[in-house]
Amino acid sequence: MAVEMAAKDLIMSAKGIRVEYHDRTTKEAFLALESFDLDVVEGEFVTIVGPSGCGKSTFLKVVNGLLRASAGEIKLKAAAKGRDDAMVFQESALFPWYSVLDNVAYGLVCAGMSKKDARERAKPMIRLVGLEGFGDKYPYQLSGGMQQRANLARALTVDPGLLLMDEPFAALDAQTREIMQSELLRIWDQAKKTVLFITHQIDEAVYLSDRVIVMSARPGRILADIRIDLPRPRDLHVKRTPPFVAYEEQIWELIASQMKTSASQFGGG
Amino acid sequence: MTANASVAGKAPSPRRWAFKRPSERALYGAMGFIGVLVLWEIATDVGIFKKSLMSAPSLIVKAAMTDFGSGAIWPHITTSLSEWAIGFAIGAVVGIPLGLIIGWFRRFDYFASVMLSAIYATPKVALAPMIILVAGIGIEAKVILVLLLSIFAIIVSTVSGVHSVDRRHQQIAQSFGASKRLLFTSVVLPSTIPFILSGLRIGAGRALVGVVVAEFLVANQGIGWYISFNGTMLNSARVYLGILMLGLFGIVLGEMIRVVERRFDSWRPEIH
Repeated sequence: MAVEMAAKDLIMSAKGIRVEYHDRTTKEAFLALESFDLDVVEGEFVTIVGPSGCGKSTFLKVVNGLLRASAGEIKLKAAAKGRDDAMVFQESALFPWYSVLDNVAYGLVCAGMSKKDARERAKPMIRLVGLEGFGDKYPYQLSGGMQQRANLARALTVDPGLLLMDEPFAALDAQTREIMQSELLRIWDQAKKTVLFITHQIDEAVYLSDRVIVMSARPGRILADIRIDLPRPRDLHVKRTPPFVAYEEQIWELIASQMKTSASQFGGG
Repeated sequence: MTANASVAGKAPSPRRWAFKRPSERALYGAMGFIGVLVLWEIATDVGIFKKSLMSAPSLIVKAAMTDFGSGAIWPHITTSLSEWAIGFAIGAVVGIPLGLIIGWFRRFDYFASVMLSAIYATPKVALAPMIILVAGIGIEAKVILVLLLSIFAIIVSTVSGVHSVDRRHQQIAQSFGASKRLLFTSVVLPSTIPFILSGLRIGAGRALVGVVVAEFLVANQGIGWYISFNGTMLNSARVYLGILMLGLFGIVLGEMIRVVERRFDSWRPEIH
């Protein structure tokens, strides 16, 4: 399987990633990730699900360069233009002191572009995510869903080869989350991006993805790599079809077995 | 709630609140102030207070008309004002960058933090006699005392501002590959500004204390001198006139800083 994918256009290849944390207060070291391998092919939408604390966000931070792995290596395909990767953070990660437009333009300013040019380039992205007319607003004037649209636009503006999304819809209410999920699919389709998405919500993972990676409890390893064969474009009705539900159950079983093991480890149950 | 409403475009814009709020503010503020004056006047009239010690608003107005009419009070005001302005301006111009440096560079922080907390807790007015010995009885001594009193509040507040920058915001800048310089100007500085402003607010008040204390000790001019001189002459109306002017200055100062705060805080939701 892995050999077959390597033949295609690999965007990211992680091999043997190991991340150790040191707790500052207890001085204890613990393993967040161990021998973690993952390949992502160009144009794919890959989602990682797993029990909380399994290290899925940690992995994303390693890919983004915010954390250093203690072992293993990550190869990112150098983007032809723009950044190799960009992160969409969890809720309210906008700068409150910048307008929406300046927030969206921020990544380009970081890349050395003048503020004026960056703003010009940011405008189409604001339109793409459906925030036209809100460029002058400050983040506090936006609803949670709109803030996440702006977050997404900020990452898309730097034209990343790989879009990393760290539980971006976790803080949204159920209805807004569903709207944002289908909006994300629309944008993904239009922008033709490769996405690595983290969530703890199984239905979100199945609905969005080409592949769902199920992780074990800490230290995180890959339990299963499930290809989601649901036709695209998908609308929200797909969530009520039997194949969708079957995928959900398959993943749920895997995660539930993990929760049992980790509970017995801690003497609970 | 406000956020959702303004997204819908129906709620009043922040600008309209800004017009509405100060008038309500001024109304209640004036009511409190005038109320106290009226009570004071009545209390001296019916003899609860002694006129010679507590004076009365009417007597203070009379004293004000005399001293403003003759122009005799102006040199005192300008003297105090310039001592305050020079000392405080130096405090701000030196204190803000120093606070940013100490907050931003770890080694500067280690170097300065113990010293800072020791000095911050010491009542600087205790240094006044030494300052007069060293700097003499001219304006220099007063400026130094004003500077010493205001600068530490500004430094300490700025440092704690830099230290309380949201880690998440730093990560975002790093994630997009921001340079150290951009991280500073786009994240650290904007999140520190409210702290700098509160440092300036505290510092401005401390500076005023410095003016008065210095003038109590050695001076032949200034509002502090005016108060202490008239105190020894048992001229209570003029003592209160001096105090009232300090209070008035405090109000003007507070409003000035409020204007600056509003200029920088347009991105914050209104709280009250």
